Amino acid sequence: MTSPASTVLVIDDEPQIRRFLRAGFELHGFAVIEAENAAAGLKAATFDAPNLIVLDLGLPDLGGDEVLERIRSWSNVPIIILSVEANEQEKVRALRLGADDYVVKPFGIAELLARSDAALRRYFRSTDKNPIVKAGPLLVDLASRAVSLDGKRVQLTRKEYTLLHLLASHAGLVVTHQQLLKEIWGKQSVNIQYLRILMRKLRQKIEPDPSQPRIIATESGVGYRLDTSAASSAD
Amino acid sequence: MSNIRISPHDARNDSATRPRHPLMRIIRTNAIPVLVSLALVVLATEWLSVLQEFTRLDLVTLFYLLPVLFAAVRWGVVPAVFAAIAGAAAADFFFYPPLYSLWIQDPRHAIDIVVFLFVAVVTGDLAARLKRDADALRRREAAMRELYAFSQRLAACFTGADLVFAVQDYLSNTLGCNAFLIARAALVEHGNDATRESIPEAIRQSALALLATAPAQTCRVADAASGHTWLISTVAEASGYGAIAVDLGKAAGDDLAAIEQRVETLLREADKTLQHLKIAEAIEQARLKQQADALKDALVGGVSHELRTPLASITGSASVLAETPAVQSDPRSRDLVEAIQDQAHQLDADIRNLLDATRITAQGIRPHLEWTDPTDIVHAAVGQKSRRLAEHPLHVEVASDLPLLRLDSGLVEQALAQVLDNAAKYSPAGAPVTVSARAEPGHVIFSVTDKGAGLTPDEKAQLGRRSFRGQRHTLGAPGAGLGLWVASTLIATNGGTLDAASQGADRGTTVTIRLPVSAEAPVPAEVADD
Repeated sequence: MTSPASTVLVIDDEPQIRRFLRAGFELHGFAVIEAENAAAGLKAATFDAPNLIVLDLGLPDLGGDEVLERIRSWSNVPIIILSVEANEQEKVRALRLGADDYVVKPFGIAELLARSDAALRRYFRSTDKNPIVKAGPLLVDLASRAVSLDGKRVQLTRKEYTLLHLLASHAGLVVTHQQLLKEIWGKQSVNIQYLRILMRKLRQKIEPDPSQPRIIATESGVGYRLDTSAASSAD
Repeated sequence: MSNIRISPHDARNDSATRPRHPLMRIIRTNAIPVLVSLALVVLATEWLSVLQEFTRLDLVTLFYLLPVLFAAVRWGVVPAVFAAIAGAAAADFFFYPPLYSLWIQDPRHAIDIVVFLFVAVVTGDLAARLKRDADALRRREAAMRELYAFSQRLAACFTGADLVFAVQDYLSNTLGCNAFLIARAALVEHGNDATRESIPEAIRQSALALLATAPAQTCRVADAASGHTWLISTVAEASGYGAIAVDLGKAAGDDLAAIEQRVETLLREADKTLQHLKIAEAIEQARLKQQADALKDALVGGVSHELRTPLASITGSASVLAETPAVQSDPRSRDLVEAIQDQAHQLDADIRNLLDATRITAQGIRPHLEWTDPTDIVHAAVGQKSRRLAEHPLHVEVASDLPLLRLDSGLVEQALAQVLDNAAKYSPAGAPVTVSARAEPGHVIFSVTDKGAGLTPDEKAQLGRRSFRGQRHTLGAPGAGLGLWVASTLIATNGGTLDAASQGADRGTTVTIRLPVSAEAPVPAEVADD
């Protein structure tokens, strides 16, 4: 899915972090632009038209929220947040402000690349003619709304499908509780326990082993993620 | 610093100019009052003779009580007696026949004079005593006020030097005495030259001798050279602070006794304060320790942050390295790079625990409560530690009918992940780890069972303690106790409990987390049914 021409803008004030990010992205065919602060980052985001932005939330000159808002005011470019603290509220806020996903330091490059690929895929999906999402043994056809597990058709209720559809259309990316509640029930006032119960039912239908779910991952305090890297049971 | 000299502001010490003989002193102090009293008697006589022109006076002697009372109240008993005698004489001489003679014709007048004298002397004495008492009361009140001011001043003392200043200042202001603190150590090691001049060598030696022999006492020493009397008193013998030497001047007898008494009262007060200063010192030390703790926490927080950034670089760099073709094709390199990643992750987890422990101690944790599926927590924690648990067969047993819980899922996940981490850390490779979640009335119970190092009863007792320092040191492996302490604190903030049970050393451990089920029904059945 990643084209060799993809350019990633890395905005982080730590030179060592930038160094390994450059090495990691270049190893996987990305071109890398580095920015050591928000000012340089915003400038590069404007003039160099990157396909993806990796943004550290702890920049010295401007808050991460502010940088996010400014970029989002004119661009839909995928943004992955780097956060030091495993602070759920901070993640949720960044996601609400338009970040596509986050990774918490320390992280391996594989994790960041998986998020980046997922974000890029979602960004380019509008032009994709084959909207089928694969997560291990699970196939979701977003166009025909058909779901199959190991080739067998799975029957889902309307709400169960809506939930799966939302996760599948953000395949590999986290979807927050608020987003899910709003999309499924049409209003955010619905309590999160409805979502928990619905998720439990969905997992019982689509997970090969519901006691050890691998297809839908839980992000405590944030949301859920359809794990496209889950191994297919057929593999 | 310990030897400070403050000169008296004014020399009120006029005892040197006073006559030595008591009778002479009485005459000297009463001469003017007696003369004035006699003048008053003359004045009374003048008025009486004027009044005599208009009317006949019967009780002439009553008039002469006025100067007597006045003299008694004003100056005391001696002028009053003089006034009484003069009054009796004047009454006899000017008003009782035969006039202008001290002879008394009428026996009634004789009785009159005698009664007058008796009444005058008695009332004069009474009035004088009243005055003396009032004066004493006023003096005592003044002394009390001074002492109160002094103790207030003492209360503001924070060091021994402050105290000496206060004592010296007070003594020189109120008594006109010089006071010196002779600190035990300072005196022996480096006697201040200025102090040497002001404290006679004999007194210094006496003070030293006093300090050497008797731990707590006061003594009066005469300085032969100046003729002054000195009072030396040891203070705060417990702290070995030293002695205070007070120059009482050349006073003698009652004066000396009075001054001595006041100085002693003062020194007792000062001594008490010196003892308090030790308490204050202890409080100060406690405060310093608290500050040091806060600083240490800040340091741990800061250092942890500073350490985590390079660690993130190491982890990230190693992960990139692991994907390079050169490393992928060489099993040994791949092994080493994995070791780097694992160790960096472990180090980061330990630092995270330190950071959390510091944060818990410093400001506590405010849980962000929301309805959560306990199943999700188990899976998230297992997922988080999958790499760490790779060498252990993992059994996950989650009941399908768990009720939803209202808690901070992030915190509980972190706690459970920590328990899993410990299970992996203390089990030999290949030993199974079992995670289970089940419901009991009122509770959901997570338990993690390993076949590892287990806990000795001692170690188990340590786990309950809230002092993570103690745990860290008693549990051999660094970070273990700290991690469990953090985990149990995180569980406690969610209203749950964490317990560790073990059959003993090397017989495995079961950590049980009990979380309360909220009474309110979280979800109507039909919603979930769609």
